[in-house]
Amino acid sequence: MSNMILGRYLPGVSWVHRLDARTKFILSMLFIFVIFMANNIYGYLFATAFVALSIIMTGLGFKVFFNGLKPLAMLMLITTFLQLFFMNTGTVLVHWWIFTITTDGVINSVIVFVRFMLIIMFTTILTLTTPPLEVADAMESLMSPLRKIGVPVSELALMVSIALRFVPTLMDEAQSIMNAQRARGVAFNEGGLIQRAKSYVPLLIPLFVNAIKRAIELGDAMEARGYRDGEHRTKFRVLKYTKIDGVAFAAFFIFAIGLFATRFI
Amino acid sequence: MAITFKNVGFTYQAGTPFATPALYDVNFNIPDHSFTAVIGHTGSGKSTMVQLLDGLELPTDGEITIGSATITAATKRKTLNGMRHDIGMVFQFPEAQLFEQTVLADVMFGPMNYGMSKAEAEIAAKAALALVQMPESSYEASPFDLSGGQMRRVAIAGVIAMEPEILILDEPTAGLDPAGQADLMALFANLQKERDLTVILITHQMEFVGQYADNVLVFDAGSVVKTGTPAEIFADSDWLRQKQLDVPAATQFSDYLEAKGLPLHGALDLDQLADEIVGLIGGPTHE
Repeated sequence: MSNMILGRYLPGVSWVHRLDARTKFILSMLFIFVIFMANNIYGYLFATAFVALSIIMTGLGFKVFFNGLKPLAMLMLITTFLQLFFMNTGTVLVHWWIFTITTDGVINSVIVFVRFMLIIMFTTILTLTTPPLEVADAMESLMSPLRKIGVPVSELALMVSIALRFVPTLMDEAQSIMNAQRARGVAFNEGGLIQRAKSYVPLLIPLFVNAIKRAIELGDAMEARGYRDGEHRTKFRVLKYTKIDGVAFAAFFIFAIGLFATRFI
Repeated sequence: MAITFKNVGFTYQAGTPFATPALYDVNFNIPDHSFTAVIGHTGSGKSTMVQLLDGLELPTDGEITIGSATITAATKRKTLNGMRHDIGMVFQFPEAQLFEQTVLADVMFGPMNYGMSKAEAEIAAKAALALVQMPESSYEASPFDLSGGQMRRVAIAGVIAMEPEILILDEPTAGLDPAGQADLMALFANLQKERDLTVILITHQMEFVGQYADNVLVFDAGSVVKTGTPAEIFADSDWLRQKQLDVPAATQFSDYLEAKGLPLHGALDLDQLADEIVGLIGGPTHE
């Protein structure tokens, strides 16, 4: 349960950690588009170097980033294999039954794999170096223009922050209920599929009951302190662009131009 | 079943950047059929110790012996399931473990997991529910419709119905009113005598330690720093206060009187203190 990498923040003092959450968010999104400019080996080498440099700058080491790939490994492999088998142009290398592997297929699957890996690793920088609540704040700030067309941006952001805030609480609670049921003789992760699924009932029912109770209590507590929705709420955590954000944007801009230039090599 | 901890250490999430040591070099011995109280400041490792005792976590160092079974870092987790059979564990706020549709079914859940037949489990469950003074009319009710205190008692019945030889209680009285606390503690004391159990009680309430325990372990900063009878432990109230612990009110009062020159000997509970004082002024003995 504790090896969930999704949204796991690792504290640090690097430049990347100190970047504004919005900067990291925007750059992550841009990277997904920019990476498609690469169309030859030099482009991918350049992009890989840029991602590697970014990771080094976080000071967290490569290992945690590779661990972040694991949950998505299946998806990456399936996409790669689909490319491998369904690309039918180029010279035929192997032909067996209905499967044909061609040179174009091999090249394309390698490209898809590398691109996928780079995107995941680059976006992992955001989640590993930014506290989840700051990511929520960044989303709120970036979505705020949508308020003009009636989207309840601050309410949505509040929901996201509350949900994020309760993830660790619910994990702890799940752990302690699990212990209590194990002490009463439940063997989790043993036996057949149906037995396994059944063994989770004594965990899930109390967990849901408590989560609903907690939600009601939180609602009461917010009401008791006079919470109401509305504009112009001041913030406890204020996002602020600084010089290093400018540097990051500039560096990314240079990277994008460089990547575009590799198309002409 | 006697319990021995030998040089036991434990680290949460060992081998990750989040590793936090919780216990180190823990050594103690809990005799069979004793009533052992575990006291210590919040975060001193008491709850971690009982998790190791119930095989919910494996020690990172050292050796735990429970009856004839031995647990070390190399023990296979699957073998622990069988071992838990003899150990009943009441967690902090045990009402969180209720999930069945009726009170009776919830109490029968544990015993049936450990191999009792439905009929046997029902008998054990009814006996346990009677013991915690739940009225028969509540057996078919949903546990979620009960009051907090009743939920607590049903959850405890669910552990007692497993008929364990060792009963571990992690702050079982937290959050109850004083009358409910006293009832519950009296129940555990009776149960221990009746069924000849080994009871391990984690508590912050020194009154209960003085009243019921015959053996005390003091935890501080992840290790056992003192063991002894309640009289031995409570004899040095200054030392306890250094560990952010206290002595029972009766002992404190007795200490004050002693400091004023009265020949008293550190009573452990109110009855004992009353007897001693009555003895001093030569009245009829308290009954």
